[in-house]
Amino acid sequence: MTTTTALAQPASPLKRITNVAKLHFANPWTTLGLPWIILGVIFVGMLTVWWLIYSAIDESARESALEGTQFSGSSFFIYIYMMVVAIQAISITFPFALGYGVTRRDYYLGSALAFVALAVIYTAGLTIISVAETMTGGWGMGVTIFAPVYFGAGIAERVFVQFVLFLFFLFFGSAIAAVWVRWKATGVTMFFIVIAALLVGLIALATFTDSWGAIGTTFVTLGVAGVAAWSLVLTAISGVAGFTLLRRATPRNAA
Amino acid sequence: MTSTIEVTNLSKHFGKVNAVNDVSFTVAENKIYGLLGRNGAGKTTLMQLLTGQEFASSGTISLFGQAPVENAKVLQNTCFIKESQRYPEDFRPKDVFKTAPWFFANWDQEFADRLIADFRLPLDRRIKKLSRGQLSSIGVIVGLASRAPLTFFDEPYLGLDAVARQIFYDRLLEDYANHPRTVILSTHLIDEVSNLLEHVLVIDDGKLLINEDAETLRNRATNVVGMKTAVEAFTGNREVLHRDGIGGLSSVTVAGLSESERRDAHAAGLELSPVSLQQLIIQLTRTETKEFEASA
Repeated sequence: MTTTTALAQPASPLKRITNVAKLHFANPWTTLGLPWIILGVIFVGMLTVWWLIYSAIDESARESALEGTQFSGSSFFIYIYMMVVAIQAISITFPFALGYGVTRRDYYLGSALAFVALAVIYTAGLTIISVAETMTGGWGMGVTIFAPVYFGAGIAERVFVQFVLFLFFLFFGSAIAAVWVRWKATGVTMFFIVIAALLVGLIALATFTDSWGAIGTTFVTLGVAGVAAWSLVLTAISGVAGFTLLRRATPRNAA
Repeated sequence: MTSTIEVTNLSKHFGKVNAVNDVSFTVAENKIYGLLGRNGAGKTTLMQLLTGQEFASSGTISLFGQAPVENAKVLQNTCFIKESQRYPEDFRPKDVFKTAPWFFANWDQEFADRLIADFRLPLDRRIKKLSRGQLSSIGVIVGLASRAPLTFFDEPYLGLDAVARQIFYDRLLEDYANHPRTVILSTHLIDEVSNLLEHVLVIDDGKLLINEDAETLRNRATNVVGMKTAVEAFTGNREVLHRDGIGGLSSVTVAGLSESERRDAHAAGLELSPVSLQQLIIQLTRTETKEFEASA
């Protein structure tokens, strides 16, 4: 029987976007597997180190040593890693998805949806671990690994701060990826030069106008959650920039 | 006949390079087209323009009656398999075949499974550990099993051996017979695909040189072989596309012959043979380049 291949019924926009989002989880190793494994390794490593310190020093010194762990930076890794995940995910699946006949718009929106999902998953995971940390009295040794002070005090605040931070790093990463897809290494180098210049400019501005004191006060007044909330502005800028750049990008094979 | 693609005065410049230069053509529905040309002739750029991956400098493109750029309605009916298609590194072939049906409404899993067996593709190996030929076979399988109404293959078989390439041609023809669709195949291996093609587009230096029915194109020239004197007497003032000779023997390629001319040639003891598509295109592009240079 001969049948002319019929034109596809247009898939609904939502369906097209969720399909792209699913693409990022088709092989969950990079987005969901590896980060937890690395986090697990760090956790075990940290515990071992603290167990050694705990056993080596006497009771009086213990308290001040453990107080230092409140400023633990070990879970910071996961944020930077999420930025890398976003860069990898976009630079690799963009040319792939366009070959499948996906539009840039659907591609970006679908990826954004996947990134929000990642932020939710990782926030939930880290929250569960930090609750466990608190409940076990710091893994039985009073150690702080997943609930450092700068994520806020209560659970609600911590969830908010972590979620917002994940969003920032994922969308900042997607903006970098968009620059990479469009202009490759030259573009990314220029991008970081511009970012560095902006930062230096802001520092200079603050120094010359003698406003460091005021800035410090503002940060203290805002509190952890307030500062985190302001990062949403940067996240939004990154998101819009990534979308705008990607909409005019052409997939090329040459690195 | 409905046209699937209509291209009018299409150009794409990269700085001073004219990758595609004022090209106009139409592609009829449910035919297999060959897009032929040398490396850097502009084949890939043209396909990228047609699939909305590249933005035109000037001119218009219409796919299924609409502009393709960022047009989901149009693009979801296309599948574009590139020579060096990249896949997410951590993907295994089975991940590719798991995700492809999400994007192609006509995807045929049974057909895909059969092709996977035909090409002996390992499904569980990481993409980065696959050979060049195995990578190419993933693209070929996706391109065929997707059954997109408009399918582009851009040099799809880098690294594929002769057997695998033959499987590709056979499966394409078989499936095309049951599920007609428009296929645009770009390739260097002109003779291998010559029987597959229904229409030929030849692009050189960004310009469209030949846009002709494959059958007409094949009849466009004939090889005449025989004694030098007899060959020369026969060709006379005819347009000679190509001339070759050893000692007293001569071989020339002349433009299409009529029945009576063929009889005359046989009577003169000359041997006639068809010119392969590849030879013809090489010769035609050479002549037309000369003509182009002369008129420039």
